[in-house]
Formats: sequence, C-alpha cells, structure tokens
Amino acid sequence: MSVKEKDLSNWQPKILGFACNWCSYAGADVCGVSRFQHPSTVRVVRVPCSGRVNPHFVLRAFQRGIDGVLVGG
Amino acid sequence: MKRIGVFLCWCGSNIGGVVDVPKVAEAVRTFPGVAFVQENKYTCSEPGQQAMVQAIKEHKIDAVVVASCSPRMHLPTFQKAVETAGLNPYMVEMANLREHCSWVHASEPENATTKAMDLVRKAVAKVAKLEPLFESYIPVTKRALVIGGGIAGIQTALDIADSGHQVVIVEKEATIGGRMAQLDKTFPTLDCGA
Amino acid sequence: MVAAAQHPNITLYTYSQVESVGGYIGNFEVNIKKKAKYVDYSKCTGCGICETKCPTKKVPGEFDCFMGERTAIYKPFAQAVPNKPVIDNKSCKKLIDGKCGVCAKMCPTGAINYEDQDEIVTENFGAIVVATGFDLIEWGKFYPEYGGGEIPDVIDGLQFERLVNASGPTGGKIKRPSDHEIPQTVVFIKCVGSRDVLKAKSYCSRACCMYTAKHAHQVREKIKGSDVYIFYMDVRTPGKMYDEFYMRTREEDGAKYVRGQVSKIFQDGNKVIVRGEDTLVGKSVEITADMVVVETAMVPRPDATQLAQTVGFSYDRDGWYTEAHPKLRPVETNTGGVFLSGCCQGPKDVPDTVAQASAAAVKVVAMFSKDQMATNPQIASVNEATCVGCLLCKPICPYKAIEAKEITERAHGETVTRTVASVNSGLCQGCGACTAECRSGSINLKGFSNLQLLAEVDAACL
Repeated sequence: MSVKEKDLSNWQPKILGFACNWCSYAGADVCGVSRFQHPSTVRVVRVPCSGRVNPHFVLRAFQRGIDGVLVGG
Repeated sequence: MKRIGVFLCWCGSNIGGVVDVPKVAEAVRTFPGVAFVQENKYTCSEPGQQAMVQAIKEHKIDAVVVASCSPRMHLPTFQKAVETAGLNPYMVEMANLREHCSWVHASEPENATTKAMDLVRKAVAKVAKLEPLFESYIPVTKRALVIGGGIAGIQTALDIADSGHQVVIVEKEATIGGRMAQLDKTFPTLDCGA
Repeated sequence: MVAAAQHPNITLYTYSQVESVGGYIGNFEVNIKKKAKYVDYSKCTGCGICETKCPTKKVPGEFDCFMGERTAIYKPFAQAVPNKPVIDNKSCKKLIDGKCGVCAKMCPTGAINYEDQDEIVTENFGAIVVATGFDLIEWGKFYPEYGGGEIPDVIDGLQFERLVNASGPTGGKIKRPSDHEIPQTVVFIKCVGSRDVLKAKSYCSRACCMYTAKHAHQVREKIKGSDVYIFYMDVRTPGKMYDEFYMRTREEDGAKYVRGQVSKIFQDGNKVIVRGEDTLVGKSVEITADMVVVETAMVPRPDATQLAQTVGFSYDRDGWYTEAHPKLRPVETNTGGVFLSGCCQGPKDVPDTVAQASAAAVKVVAMFSKDQMATNPQIASVNEATCVGCLLCKPICPYKAIEAKEITERAHGETVTRTVASVNSGLCQGCGACTAECRSGSINLKGFSNLQLLAEVDAACL
C-alpha cells in the first residue's frame, strides 16, 4: 500500500520518548500532575541521562515501526 | 527464566477511574515470564506493601513490576518492600500508569487502557533482563573544605565545626568576611554587617 | 568572623585558592595554593606599623570599591581576620624593582620576608562546600545611556555601602566621589541589569528592593533635608518584617518612589541629570541630582565557572551553580559530596544565605555521621575482555570518573600488557554517557544496560 492510498485522517504517529530521569522524565511527571492531556500514542523510556541514549536504540525503534523518537534531556 | 510478579495499583480512582485495571491484569497474565498478577487499591500503603511481600514469598517471585505512579516518587518505597521480602532491591521496575497515563489521557479510557498494557509490557521486558546489584562501601574522611570565607562560608564552617568536625576555609582575599564585611547596616533590623 | 578564626576546629587559609581537586565523595584530594603574603604570620603581631610607614600610599583599595586608597602592605580593613597584612606584589616597590624595604626595617618582629613564594599544600577532605558568593554586574558595559560608568557621581550599591560605613573611606559621612560634597538630592535606580532580558540579566536579584529601601533610609537619616527619589519597576518585599520596613521608608522617611524606568543620565555642571518616566501619572520626569546610585544585578564571581570546572560540578547559563533539585535538594550539587552555600547558587539576601549555609552544613554533618557510605550500584562497568582501550569514554565523562588502566593477560602463549578503561565507582554518577560513546559496546551501565533498554524499546514498539 502506497502512502497515497493510506487513510491518514485518523492517523496518530506512534512516538517513543527517551526521557532523562532528572529533567524531562520529571517534566513528564509534572505534565501528569498538571493533567495536561495529550495523545495516548506516546511511550516513555526512563534513562538516567539523555547521554545514555545510544543511537542504536533510536534505530531499533524505527526498525520496530515507531514513527517518531523524542530524546529529552 | 525469572518468575515475575506484577502488582497493578488502582491508586484509589486515580488510575482505576480511567484505566480498566482488571482488563490490564488479564492481558498482563499472558506476558512472557509473568508468574503472578495482583491488583491493589493502594500498593504503597502499609497493607498494599504487606500483600506484596507476602505474594513474593508465597509465589516464589524473583523480580517485581509495580504498575502505579512515577518511580521518582515511590521506587525507593518498593525497593525497600522487595528487600523485606528477601529480594535484591534492584530487582524492581515501575510502570508509570498515573502521571504518564491515567492523568494525561483521562478522556480516552480505552486508549489509556491499551497504553497501560504497553507500559507494563515494557517494564516486564526490562525486569526480565535485570540482575541483582550490590552497593559497595567507601570510607569517609571526616574533614570538610569550605571554599569562600564570606558569611555563607563562615556560617557553614561554624556549624560543621560545632558538630565536632575539622573544617578548612579557603579564602581568596587576605581576610574573611566577604561582601558582608563591606556592608553597613543590614535590613530589616539595621544591625551591623561586620 | 572572629568566631570562625578562634574556633579550634576551623583552619583558615586566607589569600589562598583551590588549584585542583581529585578523588570523589568522602575522599577528595585537594591542592590549595597559598599565595605569597611576604609576611610571616607566625612572627607578625598585627601592630600595623608597616602600613603607616609604607611609602606607596595611593593604591586604589579593592575593599572600598576603589573609592579609597591603601598602601602596598595592607590589611583590607581595620577589623580584618586574620588581623595581619599582606604585601601586594603588583604595587610594592621593593618587589617590583627592589628599591624600598621600609616595612622590613620598621617591623619590630622581623616578620617581613620579600623572598616568600607561593606554596601548594595537599589536603584530604570528605566533603566540599562551595560558598564563593557574588559580584555586581559591570553595569557600565551594558548601559552607555547611564554614562557607562564614566560619571563619577553615579555609583553602585556596594560603593554606597562603603560611603555610609563608619569604617569606609569617608568615615561614614555620605560624600559624593567627585568633590566630596554632601549630596542633597540622591536618586536610586533599581533593577539596573536585573530583569532586563534585552540588555543584561533576565532574573530578579532579590535583595535590591530591600537594600534600596535601607539606602534611602540611611540618606534621609544622615543628610537632614535631603531629597530621595527611587525609580522602580516593582517593589518586592517577601520576607518577615520586610514590607513593614519598606513602608516605613516610604511613609516615615519620605523617600519618593517613582514607578518607571530611567532613559538617560548625564552630567550637567556639578549636577547629574536623571531623565525617566513616571508611568503612574504617564509623564516624563527629569530630576537634577547630586548623586545617583544604580542598584545593580548580582552576578557570579568572574572565576566562578572556572572553579566549577576545577571541582567538577555544573552551572547554569548565567554562571550560577546548579543545585541538584530546586525544591528538594537545594544545597546539593549533582556531584556527590559537593554542596552549595549562599549566593554562588543564585542571588539571595542575608537571612536566606545564612539559612542555606546552615542547611549545607547539616548535609555535610549527616554525611560525616557514618564511617563509611554506600554507593549507588547503578554505575558504569567495563568489560575488559572486549575493551580496546581507545578511551573515547574518558573525555565524555562529565565526572572525570574514567581512567586508563594497564592490565596484564596471557594471549597466544605470551604475557601482554594492554590498556583498558577503568571506572572509579566513587566518582561515577551513573549517567551512562560513556556507554553511548563506546564503539565496541564494552562499557555498560548497570541497571540501564544496552540489553535492558533495548528490551524496553522492543516491548514499547509492539
């Protein structure tokens, strides 16, 4: 199926986030505490620092069909 | 293969009011390595922790997933709990079903339930690879260095010294006192700076 | 000050600075440079004869913010601790070209030693508290419209403190720097350099609202019949008895608060003209003043970032030292065993500084309450069998925790020695930056290993 034929009207990108425990993961927690609603297709992996994110992890996520990767730190 | 125990927390209605926890439990039972699943109203409470400890012993659980709130909040709590049950405290992982799921997807319970399953699956996958870790101990030299001899450094040094420890103040200038010594009276009481 | 000097558990190294820091939490090894004082403190009695006899008398005094003068051999101020002088080798004639030596001749105890050298001492510590304080912004660079620091009677808050201080260059009489006349009209301008995103610093310096009120009070108290104007953006007085103090300055002392900013300051004869706006009445105002005090932003010490790099902890874009958590760990850094005290972490007033200083002390004392401490086991570890010793991980480590190590092993019937990376478990904070840098995957982070994180990624992508 080509991209053109795909029905994109209800499409939500699946996003994998890598979040630093000390800042962006904490930020995502604050997001929860403040009840900021956002699409439910985001999954967050907790890392001790954004520096821990090996490019390998990002490539693996794309290989496994993720549409976008967010590295926060 | 490890026998993994998953503890799903309702957090009152904080998680249970949005996420269909029994449905998540049903799905989690099929995840590889999961030997035991339990739901709790409040896993962090005294009875919640006791139930966890008991389950770990009874069902010979090797590693634990707690699906509740943020690990930044309660990971130390559950590390202590599993230690009480005789496990290594680093054999526990959390799935953040509250801050990262129920609270931010409150208006779409079905999607939140799907996401909750994903988050638990993710935690179970990690826990399956966890290994026990052991703290090491290093000696402590009971002597403090204070860099800067202004009012902050002096106050810190005095407090440490009063508790019986040796302190060295290193000051760049020829005198201690810093900015405070330059000031005349200070607000709001107008007593003197030096 | 005196209490610190006399405390049996406190050693003072004045005229000294930290050269290098090695080791880790609980076990730091610190090199301290004791700069040459040219005075033997074991002989000096602090009698002060040398200062009165020194022929080099016109050195601008740092302690008086360059409004007073000092000699080449000097104590910064009369109550200095220790109350003994040092020789400034940049202005002492004897040390520059060998022609003088008066102080050595006059010293009754023979304490002067022109041959004195800088000395490095190495000491061991379990904890380090950084308390390097603040400076005032070099406002002239940022505000050419205020005269750029060239108008003699436009001074900053610290200079005003020296003018009003009984031990200052004017003996506590408020005299303006240009002609030593007593100013009748004094204008204070707040937030110069603070809360100015476009020109200088975005933050509020916190203490200025209150010390400006104090300065205004002091002018009105010391100069009878004087006029005091204060230009302000807001008045912020969150503190016990603070607002009461401010209201007293306004109502009892009669300081005139003008809400608005100043657009220009210039010299006109022996007067200083201040042009600005009063936003409450919507008019421009011009005040003919005798002296202007700019209440300027606090900034870190100029060598603050250098010290942070020497000790090994982080700072923010303005150079303030970063606390581990703004609310829950306000006096700790992210480097184990290094704590923060006072303004080096950010602008604060005296009560907050003292509170934070005691808090930092408690953290240290808590650490010292045990003979040994547990370390976080979630740290990097090296697989020596696969490590090729390229040491790309070494410079990437923000905590200086990785070093080269020689290992000896048997290979092909021979004994070979090769280099591998080695992680110091006391220094490693478990950030994992080294693991992403490692080409051969030989360095891994316990608790967040490549395998564990990939398992998470795989499971999350289903």
